[in-house]
Amino acid sequence: MNSVGEACTELKREYDQCFNRWFAEKFLKGESAGDPCVQLFKRYQLCVQKAIKEKDIPIEGLEFMGPSKGKAENSS
Amino acid sequence: MRKYPNPMNPCVVGVDVLDRSLDNQGRLHSHRLLSTEWGLPSIVKAILGTNRTLTYIKEHSVVDPVEKKMELCSSNITLTNLVSVDERLVYRPHPENPEKTVLTQEAIITVKGVSLSSYLESLMANTISSNARKGWDAIEWIIQNSESALS
Repeated sequence: MNSVGEACTELKREYDQCFNRWFAEKFLKGESAGDPCVQLFKRYQLCVQKAIKEKDIPIEGLEFMGPSKGKAENSS
Repeated sequence: MRKYPNPMNPCVVGVDVLDRSLDNQGRLHSHRLLSTEWGLPSIVKAILGTNRTLTYIKEHSVVDPVEKKMELCSSNITLTNLVSVDERLVYRPHPENPEKTVLTQEAIITVKGVSLSSYLESLMANTISSNARKGWDAIEWIIQNSESALS
């Protein structure tokens, strides 16, 4: 499945692979501590946010949830 | 998470994760942006006065691995001056047989100030209801294909 921003599809695939593995092998088995995909997600997000601006996609309500905001990710 | 692409809904052409986090109950929240191609008949497009066939949708999902429950809420963020479609899907174990999953799906469709309002409402209601069945077939397809991918 492609990204909404054509240039981001490869970054998305890398992140998706990492996430799908974590999701199936850790999260669903009750081990959610640690997120191995943070770096991949950041790189992918930079690309997506740029594409969203370029395409003028109205996601105002979601913009504050970008990766720069502190989140409850369990990555300690 | 791997819902698209699937042969039952070729209309979704792009998916992006905008945000993902765990809440303090261990549930996974994801916010996604989906882009879809509506197969609107060209006469409908002409009447609506829009050439845009690419629609964007925001989706918030919550996966609870303890209760084995997944909830998805989505609404369109383009074409909002014409129509709002808010959908909610909840997958949870069947109360009497935990080997089975129950899917509850609701959609609220609001068509705004257009002369075709009742046509559009029934077009959308029919599409959503036939997509609901396809969505279920899609999940079964995904399950069969995921098992082979994970092995």
